[in-house]
Amino acid sequence: MTEQPKNLSRRDAIMTVGVGAATAVAAVTVASEGLAAKDRKVHYAMVIDTRKCIGCHACTVACKAEFDVPLGVNRSWVEYIEKGTYPNVKRNFLPRLCNHCSKPPCVDVCPTGATYKRQEDGIVVVDADICIGCKYCILACPYNARFINTRTGTADKCDFCLHRVKKGLVPSCVNTCQGHARIFGDILDPDSEVSKLIATFPVTVLRQEMGTEPNVYYIDADHTDERDGERMGQYVRVDTFLPYEKRR
Amino acid sequence: MFELNWGLPVIGYLFLAGAGAGALTVSSSVLLRGGGGGFGGAHFKVARYGALAAPVLLIIGTALIVLELGTFKAAVAHGDWALLFRWLNLFKVINLSPMSIGSWALLAAILASVAYAYTFLPGNKADDRMKSLRRGLAWIGVPLGIIVGIYTGVLLGAMPSRPLWNSPVLAALFLVSAISTGLATILLIKAVFDRDKKRTSENTAGTHFIKEDRSTYLLTASDLLLIGLELVAVFLFIMFAQLTIGAPAEAMKVLFPGGEMATLFWFGFVVVGLLLPVAVELRYVLPTLLNHQPYSIPVAIEVLVSSLILIGGFVLRYVIVIAGQITYPIGL
Repeated sequence: MTEQPKNLSRRDAIMTVGVGAATAVAAVTVASEGLAAKDRKVHYAMVIDTRKCIGCHACTVACKAEFDVPLGVNRSWVEYIEKGTYPNVKRNFLPRLCNHCSKPPCVDVCPTGATYKRQEDGIVVVDADICIGCKYCILACPYNARFINTRTGTADKCDFCLHRVKKGLVPSCVNTCQGHARIFGDILDPDSEVSKLIATFPVTVLRQEMGTEPNVYYIDADHTDERDGERMGQYVRVDTFLPYEKRR
Repeated sequence: MFELNWGLPVIGYLFLAGAGAGALTVSSSVLLRGGGGGFGGAHFKVARYGALAAPVLLIIGTALIVLELGTFKAAVAHGDWALLFRWLNLFKVINLSPMSIGSWALLAAILASVAYAYTFLPGNKADDRMKSLRRGLAWIGVPLGIIVGIYTGVLLGAMPSRPLWNSPVLAALFLVSAISTGLATILLIKAVFDRDKKRTSENTAGTHFIKEDRSTYLLTASDLLLIGLELVAVFLFIMFAQLTIGAPAEAMKVLFPGGEMATLFWFGFVVVGLLLPVAVELRYVLPTLLNHQPYSIPVAIEVLVSSLILIGGFVLRYVIVIAGQITYPIGL
């Protein structure tokens, strides 16, 4: 007789767990629906022609002004890669920003859904009203593109100037670029300038081995870092203008 | 210097929540294995220590991570109190992020452990109405503790951008360490608070001994097994990275001689947290295990060994969390 209620309570417990799990699976299925990349009509991308970059940081400043980014952090910046010994020396410039990856690791790890890749145009955005500032995305990004905005306490990064792009303008950094080194456009439109440049020139992306499929393409980028310098017996110095000693 | 995105609050959380989850799992399984789950059953005392420690550790640990949240810091810095409870957004959705699944699992583990601890409060021994509830919660407690213990490793391991963490072995290492530290917590509490005259004695020199205590013996012997598994996990963790060409092998240099975290890892974790406890525990467990002598261990030694295991568990979290953030993929 005493067995009966015990069995019931156990069955109840199993049922509760089962229903909970089913709800969770349903929620996950709903969340992952509608993310099919093939449905996308527009996918914004950027081509950075480093041959035309003069390292003037106008893009850095324009971005800073556009968003009033707090001190010490940047949504977009330019790295200096200095290498060689006199007289064989060169300083190359590498403009940086969020790569708006097709497989964004930051989106995969976001526990609240605050960061997501926009279905309509492929821009990866952070919803500052949802983000809790857990910094998981900051660690998951292989490009250092993210930081905590000390004003809001939430994760922040480049959003391709979504507010400008919505009105048919180019991002602020593209608008200000003196040498026309930053080119912005729709990669799915074969007649766009970015598509033509990608079709014409050898392009690379950053940290391709991460499998993130970036949408910022570089022409003639210098991928050298200090570790390569050690291996090649060359003097190499990278200035990231980030609050870190090294690129990471 | 590197800026650490996840600092001491996260390290403390990984340690405390791991120990709490371990204590929940150990307590629940000990209760179920002890038979019955009623008052006075075998190992009941041990199960109770674990049951009471688990929610405390889990809740303190979880409270710690809130301190690391950007929104919490901004709320305090700017007096914007609306941001203070922004973390509740975690419980408005569930997605495939390890942190999302982990948050829900942690919430479930906290609720279950609080209810489980409640069933251990002193009650009517003759008419133990909590018995079936206690058993039912123990059945939930074992998997929940394991899930919380394993998720902390998955949380760190989910990012290819952090090559030192991006290893499937890390979750196993954290799980074993969680159970081991949970067990050490129980042993420590028992050694400090259990003054049962039948089980402790004093020799002529005035040293207190724990004598012929089946629960302590079984827990200590299990702990030896767990530490053995932990040593295997450490070996596999390092070997896995070392045999991978590129970023993981490069990142692992931080744990090898000359690396920034080498001394702390090898001395603070492997020697102090694993090898030393193993050596001491073997000294007391082997005579019972091999020659069936009555088990007896000085209380002071028991306190020392369980403290060492706890220190080792903390140092492991400390080293791994920091080492993962100061290493990065090679090339750009």
